Amino acid sequence: MASSLTIANVDAGYAAVRVLEDVSIDVRAGETVALLGTNGNGKSTLMKCIMGIVRPTAGSITATIDGAAHELVGLTTEEIVDLGIAFVPEGRRLFPKQSVLENLQLGAYRPKARAALRQNLDFCFEAFPRLKERAKQLAGSMSGGEQQMLALARALMSAPRILLVDEPSVGLAPLLVSRTIDKIKELKDGFNLTVLMAEQNFTQAIRIADRGYVIVHGRIAFAGESAEALNNNDLIREFYLGA
Amino acid sequence: MDVSYDLLLNAILSGLLLGGFYAAVSIGVAISFGMLDIVNIAHPAFILLGSYAAFIGNSYFGLDPILAAVIALPFFYLLGMAVYQVYYVAFERRDDQSLRGLSFFFGLMFITEVGLVLIFGVDYRLVQARYIGESLRLGPIELPFRLLVPFIVSMVTVVGLQLFLAKTFLGRAIQAVAQDQLALRLMAANPVRIKRIAFGLSIATAALGGAILIIIQPVEPSIGREYIGRVFAICVLGGLGSFSGMVIAAVTLGIVETLTSTLFGPSWAPAVSFGVLLITLAVRPSGILGR
Repeated sequence: MASSLTIANVDAGYAAVRVLEDVSIDVRAGETVALLGTNGNGKSTLMKCIMGIVRPTAGSITATIDGAAHELVGLTTEEIVDLGIAFVPEGRRLFPKQSVLENLQLGAYRPKARAALRQNLDFCFEAFPRLKERAKQLAGSMSGGEQQMLALARALMSAPRILLVDEPSVGLAPLLVSRTIDKIKELKDGFNLTVLMAEQNFTQAIRIADRGYVIVHGRIAFAGESAEALNNNDLIREFYLGA
Repeated sequence: MDVSYDLLLNAILSGLLLGGFYAAVSIGVAISFGMLDIVNIAHPAFILLGSYAAFIGNSYFGLDPILAAVIALPFFYLLGMAVYQVYYVAFERRDDQSLRGLSFFFGLMFITEVGLVLIFGVDYRLVQARYIGESLRLGPIELPFRLLVPFIVSMVTVVGLQLFLAKTFLGRAIQAVAQDQLALRLMAANPVRIKRIAFGLSIATAALGGAILIIIQPVEPSIGREYIGRVFAICVLGGLGSFSGMVIAAVTLGIVETLTSTLFGPSWAPAVSFGVLLITLAVRPSGILGR
């Protein structure tokens, strides 16, 4: 069944600094939505609000998981993940001293994912053959691209319905960026996920996004109802294409 | 120097058994210090608490000291969880743990010691069991049961805990909790709960370690201090976070100490064992099996 995410009029900030102002975003069932914007505009803060890491000062965040609606504001991060929302944070946050396999097993900690561990592990190893080769290697000793793959795979081990990915392209070589973006698309289709992806790399993100939002100084400056609408938007030209 | 082959063999074997004892008293620290980053210098005091629990079970109820320790296990587990909760609320939550947390455990050590002195006095206490005093003889080899039984109990505990840590979701979370708490929360695990359980387990092992200690030698309340240095040295030598490394280090230290005692006299033993620690760390800073 369908899973979706609705963010309505969210304000958030750190101490006296207001980072998000009246942000509303809709991620409909089965969509891939891109959250676009350059550094420091509030993309990561919005992701953290959804995951219960930063608490919004106003507004509501509602996740519908397999038809059941849940208000996320006020829940802990653990409770939110346990609902079936997985998050690949910026910087990946792997367990560097645990092996690739141990990282993946930890991904399946959520009770609902435990029973499907074997099956999801096979799927991840099929999607990322490199991880299978390196199953015994410590996560911290892998290259940036491999770590990003592991972070994605680990998030999928929790058998999520909604996947949030923060800046998957950061720190990766251009070829790896496009490969990572392709993988996200492939995994989304394989797992039947709903995806929200924050990304600076507009041209890459737009390849797999159904829709997108441009966030500027903590406000939604443009909501593109299609990839084309985003491509032809003046704001985007100004920010990304230098025109 | 004239040292007979039999003497050498016996020294190595009793060193191995001594290593089993060292492993038993180090398991708890291998969890708290090695995996949770909690510098519980009061651990030897908890071990003494375990010794007295075994003493009570043995002298008042006629129980085998190991059985008494097994009965005490759940209480030690709860005590450990309670201690962690206080530590968490008072220090860790405020990110205040490094120095104040250390003094907290230092204080806990003294309170435990003084408490034991007030209840049991400063006399040496010991336990009775059929196997204490007997030996297993295999040709020229003589293995005292007083050391053999603790060795077996210690190894069973280590293997059991190792399996738990490697094969269960909770165990894997315990191994990861000190590396990245946010990442663990993103796996739907509550790091505070994980640490509380792990610290409970760490203190629970002190019940067994204490029973083993009082089987091997009579105890008085402050005897735990003798082991503080050794226990932490063993964990660092083995490599933090590695149980197998800890056992290898404990056995190495046991054998080195026994051999040194046999060949050069007991007063050299500590110097040589800490020498081994220094040399190992110079060659392998992360310890024998450290990641």
